[in-house]
Amino acid sequence: MSNLLLRAEHIDKHFGVTHAVKDVSLDFEKGEIHALIGENGSGKSTFTNMLCGIYQMGEGKFTLDGKEVRPKNQVDANHEGISIIVQEMGTLSGLTVAENIFLGNEDQFVSKGIKNTAKMNKQAQEYLNEYGFERMIATSVIDHYNFEDRKLIEIVKATYFKPKVVVVDETTTALSQSGRDELFKHMRRLKELGSCIIFISHDLEEILNLSDRISILRDGDFIKTVKADSVNEEELKKLMVGRELGDNYYRTDYDSYIPAEVALSVKNVSVPGQLSDISFELHKGEILGIGGLSECGMHEVGKAVFGASYDRAGEVVLADQTKINDITTAINHSIAYASKDRDNESLVINDTIKDNITLPSMRDMGMFLSDKKLNHFAEQYAELMSVKMVNVDQFVSNLSGGNKQKVVLARWIGKQSDIVVLDSPTRGIDVKVKADIYALMDRMRKEGKAILMISEEIMELIGMSDRIFIMKDGKINGEFKRTPELAEETLIEKMI
Amino acid sequence: MKESYQKLKSTHWYGLVILAVLVFVFWGIFKILTPSNFGTMPKMVSYLQSSLIYAVGGCGLYFICVMGLFDFSVGANIVLSSIIGVSLCTSFGYAGLLITPILCGTIMGLFNGLVYSKLRIPSMIVTTGLALLYESLGVFVTNGSEKILSEKFRAFGSYPWNFVLAVLAFFLCGFILKYTKVGTYTYAIGSNENTAKNMGVNVNKYKIIAFTLCGMFTGIMSILTISYGTSMIAASNMSSMSRNFTPLMGTFFGLALKKYGHPIIAIIVGEFIISLIFNGFVSLGAPTTVQNIVTGAALLLIVCISIKPVKGEVVK
Repeated sequence: MSNLLLRAEHIDKHFGVTHAVKDVSLDFEKGEIHALIGENGSGKSTFTNMLCGIYQMGEGKFTLDGKEVRPKNQVDANHEGISIIVQEMGTLSGLTVAENIFLGNEDQFVSKGIKNTAKMNKQAQEYLNEYGFERMIATSVIDHYNFEDRKLIEIVKATYFKPKVVVVDETTTALSQSGRDELFKHMRRLKELGSCIIFISHDLEEILNLSDRISILRDGDFIKTVKADSVNEEELKKLMVGRELGDNYYRTDYDSYIPAEVALSVKNVSVPGQLSDISFELHKGEILGIGGLSECGMHEVGKAVFGASYDRAGEVVLADQTKINDITTAINHSIAYASKDRDNESLVINDTIKDNITLPSMRDMGMFLSDKKLNHFAEQYAELMSVKMVNVDQFVSNLSGGNKQKVVLARWIGKQSDIVVLDSPTRGIDVKVKADIYALMDRMRKEGKAILMISEEIMELIGMSDRIFIMKDGKINGEFKRTPELAEETLIEKMI
Repeated sequence: MKESYQKLKSTHWYGLVILAVLVFVFWGIFKILTPSNFGTMPKMVSYLQSSLIYAVGGCGLYFICVMGLFDFSVGANIVLSSIIGVSLCTSFGYAGLLITPILCGTIMGLFNGLVYSKLRIPSMIVTTGLALLYESLGVFVTNGSEKILSEKFRAFGSYPWNFVLAVLAFFLCGFILKYTKVGTYTYAIGSNENTAKNMGVNVNKYKIIAFTLCGMFTGIMSILTISYGTSMIAASNMSSMSRNFTPLMGTFFGLALKKYGHPIIAIIVGEFIISLIFNGFVSLGAPTTVQNIVTGAALLLIVCISIKPVKGEVVK
């Protein structure tokens, strides 16, 4: 008997001029975890979003258990036995936990127009208990729970009806280790029940540990499906990028001299609830890495340096004694900042690449702005960063994560910033763009720019930084110099 | 102490405690300032009676405002529904007085919703435009003359029938919010329209339903308004606009305290607080302008205290 569960035939999708998925045909089997990997913009999410009814179908067809499926929305997909857990927040504030779990599927509790709320709450609580989430209360408004708990509630929402296919789309980046373990447990449980889990992640180690088979997409094309136990990380990277990644992924130098010249000093900076009495100096020509657990306050350091913190005490002073207390002064004094929350804090998402790149530099372009001048400026820096685009009038919202980050960096390079604060510079970005960004950082360092890199990735900190500060509970808990011997465990020890 | 406060804050009771404290504070202030002619028990009942009328309208607006929309035609709706109600009351008695304004209000609400969803322009503009249309209709119907409700049919203007009708309306509103899909979907659309759409919620349909419900509750408010005020004159040049704001204030209370789970009680008590402040100033002999300033300021203050905006959050 065939094990085939879902067949995708000649799936094809355009977004305007972008050809996101190109004639992809793939088979998914019962009881397998099937990973989809590829660089940003390779078409993985577009492919699964069509399957789940989030995007309208382009060309081609999906056949589930011998029957064609063409869902119009997520609930429609649920009814076909397909569900998805997404990267972003997938629950709605203002509704109770139970209402969120059954949103769009309330009909099972409705009789003659009246919803049996008590029955719905009871059922939701039963599911929560069944999943081991007894501490969550079905009748509570979901706003009382943090991001991670809300993600766990989403797991219940997406899987309580034992769907045949579950898409897990980069969910793990939003979860802590214990949250991931919960997710993986339920992925395995569903696999044993005969469901197919389509697993999208940038974490290749995670992919290799969990998956049975791995399919690789590149620029919208289907490349290959391999068995997880027959490949290693390097081979996967090669398949994703289409070429061998050189040795220049991270910096290889260990004897770099850090100039004594200080670019910026942070003196006794505190932010209520986030930072407590932080002091350090950032030198010209160095990459200073700051790491720690997500809630350790490190992301606030970037904001504090850029003058974007609220209720900040203490001082941020430049070499010429200029005090940075607000964003305008920061930008005027050549400080750049790329936020971790790229879409909301770094980019004007519903605007063009051109506007996003030229925004802080417009004031330097004279009183009257000509389109020609703006175009030239944007094109120059977008090309320098090799942003994958049709032209600079394309909207940023249509770009992949990696290309969005390139637009942010192009903006600050265009502004000729000397002090660059990068918060999670490679978050959710594929290996190829990552390598590009690391190369750029290294080049900037050699040009004498001061780089403050805040990162949750330990390997990135070790690989790129001249000095590393590890933070814990709003304080600097350890300082490390760049050496080949510096090990992950040493840093982790200071984090927890 | 701090612990028990935090514990209270996480329960459903917190919102009710805030409301009770506010009522007591405002009652206390005016009671101290004018001990003889404010805040006696019979007077408090009278304040409550007038606030119930606005609270019914506030319930209707709640469906709209939770979604982030506005309905500025509520005032015009009240005027037109009341006028038609009075007219038909002469021929059909209480049946005309009860059924016509509700029907009339509902139709206007439905029309608002349909125009809003077809034209796809901001609800504030759509309903302001339609308010002018409804006002003009009122002028055509009455030829500018005042419509007076016959003395025989004024039972809903006083105790107990005003209470009965208002309480029925509150229960209906609570029922819709909690025991129908409309309630859940209203909150879902208000929280994140795109996600709601992805969950299969027919956003346009439920927006139209919300407008229709708003119109229906406005119709019920019209019955109470005309029974209490006994006469209505057609409005023109947007003069009905001022009637929008008192019910809207109650709605704001409901929105500010909705996370504590009792929006309707918040609307009712909110209107009662507004009524307390207003009557407090009347007993102080303050001119209407001063009363308006203080009522407006009190509203802003109360909403600020209960919402506590996060620093740096974009507010539109």
